[in-house]
Order: sequence, then C-alpha cells, then structure tokens
Amino acid sequence: MTLEAAQARLAGLIAKSALGDRAAFAELYRATSSKLFAVSLRIVRERPLAEEALQDSFVNIWNHASDYAQAKSAPTTWMTAIVRNRSLDIVRRTREEPDIDDTLAANLVDPRAAPPREAEARAEAHSIQHCLEELDAEQRQTIALAFFHGLTHSELADHLRRPLGTVKTHIRRGLLKLKDCLMRAGATERG
Amino acid sequence: MRLSPTAAQELAAQYVLGTLRGRARRRFESLVRDDRALAAEVARWEHALTPLAERVPAVEPPKRVWSQIEARTAPRSAPAARTGFWRGFGLIAAGLASVLLAFFVFISSGPRSEPVFVAVLADTAPRMVVSMHQPDILRVRVVKPWGAMKADQSLELWAMPKQGAPRSLGLVTNAMGDTMIKVAENDPRVRDVSALAVSMEPMGGSPTGQPTGAVVCHGMLAPVKRT
Repeated sequence: MTLEAAQARLAGLIAKSALGDRAAFAELYRATSSKLFAVSLRIVRERPLAEEALQDSFVNIWNHASDYAQAKSAPTTWMTAIVRNRSLDIVRRTREEPDIDDTLAANLVDPRAAPPREAEARAEAHSIQHCLEELDAEQRQTIALAFFHGLTHSELADHLRRPLGTVKTHIRRGLLKLKDCLMRAGATERG
Repeated sequence: MRLSPTAAQELAAQYVLGTLRGRARRRFESLVRDDRALAAEVARWEHALTPLAERVPAVEPPKRVWSQIEARTAPRSAPAARTGFWRGFGLIAAGLASVLLAFFVFISSGPRSEPVFVAVLADTAPRMVVSMHQPDILRVRVVKPWGAMKADQSLELWAMPKQGAPRSLGLVTNAMGDTMIKVAENDPRVRDVSALAVSMEPMGGSPTGQPTGAVVCHGMLAPVKRT
C-alpha cells in the first residue's frame, strides 16, 4: 500500500469513528496500536503505564475524532502526538532510573539499524532523517534521546555525563539547525 | 502573556521534542489553545519529528487494553435492566451503604450515572472506590496510591464470593484516577460476591489465577439504596 493509500485508509477510519462507528474504531486500533504502544513504552518504560497511556489515548481519539479534520496532519502524526503527550504526562509521576536504548539513538541515521519499516513511512521519515545527518553527533544523540525516551534536560545531562548547560545548548542549536534544514527541504510545508 | 516570536518557536520545538516539561508544558498548552500561529508552529514540528517514531519496533499491547478502551467508549446511556443482576451481591446494612455513598459522592467529581453499588477498599486508609455505573462496567477509582511499588509488580483486583475461591477481575493501576473494567452482565465471576480485594502480583497478574501475593486492600460491597 502506498503512503497516501495507507494514510487515506486511516483518515477514513477516524472519520467513521467520529460518527460513532465502533467497527471502524476497532480497525483503527488494530492498525495502529502496536506501533503506538511501542512509542509509549519507550517513554514510560513500564508496561502497565504504557497500557494506561494507550488506553487513555484511544479514549481521547474516540472522543476527539471529529476534531481530526481540523488538525490537517497525517493520521499517524495526529495519533502519535496524542500518545506521546499522554505518555509524557504519565511519566512525570513515576520516573525511576532510565533504561535507555542507546543503540537506537546512536544509530539514528544508519538505515541498517532501523527495523524493517512499512514503505509508507519512508517518504515522510526521509527529510527528518536527512536533516538529522547534518547535526553533529552529540546534538543528534541528545535530540534522539529526548524524542524516543522522553528524557528531561537534567536526565539527559545525567545520562550523557555532560553539564546541564551543554545539554540545553545541544538541544537548542540542534533544533535550530533541524528547522533550517527542514525549511530548505520543504518538509515544514504541510504536505 | 505574549511571547516573542523566537521564544515561541523555540518552545514549540521543545514541546514537540518532549523536553518542555511540568508546569511550563501545561502553560504552553494553554497558550497554544488561543494562538493560531503557535498552534501552526507546533503542527509543523509534529509533522517533521513524529515520522521518527516509525523507527521504534512495534510491540503488541495485551488484549485487556482494547477491552478497557471498549468499556470506556461504550455508549453512555444504558437503560438495560441492571437491578436483577446486582441483587446477587450480598446485602449489607443500609447504614453502612449510606456512609459509603456519602464518601463516594464526596470523592467523586460528578458521576455520570448513579452507581448500583460501591465498595471502599482500604488498608489503614481508603485506597480505592469501586463502583458499578452501568450494567457491565466496573469503575475503579484510586483515591490514595501506594508510594513505592516495584516496576515488575502489578495490582490485581479480585471478586471474593461468599463461598469458594477468589475470581480475578483484572489489573488496576497504582495511580490516581479511574480504570474501567468490563464485566459482562451474566459474568459468573461476580455471582454471589460479597467483597473485593486487591493483591500484589508479578507484572501482568497472578500466574496461577489465584492471588499469590499480599492482599493490600479490601472492602465489602454495599448496594446503593434507591429512593
């Protein structure tokens, strides 16, 4: 299935969910829950918390499905943002010693490190991937750890054994560079 | 509050990245609600960064997550007969019931429908309030979580029948807030039940189907008297 077809299918399921179609909502869950659960699990780190985040997020998606049309973003983007936000909310209650997957962060630009992905994700991932390559290694690692694991500035500083100020600078400069690159790539234009 | 455009853009990026946290995150969210330009900036960053999430290898969530989502999104108005089924729960002194109901109303921020029964599960203090709001949904509201709980442990809720072994009703979380558990109307697990209890189990629940760890709180069921 092409990127457009897959996203169009999900958008259709969200639209039906907005009308109270429970079968469509169940299909939406089947199509997306394992990816979203994995995203949450990296951030909250404990399965019961990730289950809670996923549960809350899908209740949210059901209740706000009618707002989706206004979001004007890809269905996966909209749903991932909901799950990430809920996970970040939940994790602030119970953060213990982080158990970090450094490989994923370090190999962010090595395509061999990525698990086999659906073809439809590749096109969108391409521009951010390419732009991350333009960052220096430390900026890239810091940003990746923050994104995948939901680490705070001070958790990043602990984990990377760098002063807090350095970490903040890496993040700030890294994001600025990313933005420049994304603008050049046209990726920040709504597609 | 007005932010300079540069500050706003930086906050939007840090919000989506996840490094904007705590109260600053809440404040930023309320700003975004009233500021279209800021909302557009957030959307641009989400569009740019979230495809990265595709790199995370998928993990299948357990089946119970979907059951609970189904229960929580079930249609609100459920006019089906519900008294018959719940009559099976032992009748407790009406005085106790009214005390519990008063407590329930006190802790609840406006229940959507009147509960059929309530149970306050306590150790030295009330920990959870379990109530039945619709024919097939059990609401577990945690009012006082336990401070420390190991990452590899789960809390499991049990229906205690008047005779015989406890029956598992599912896992509950150790965090303030509600968990909804779907219980079919003719579910044998809740027949002739007089009390509920929560035990500490290995992650994912008891491996044997019976409580294996300490009972951390429990309470009697009390039907809510209808007027």
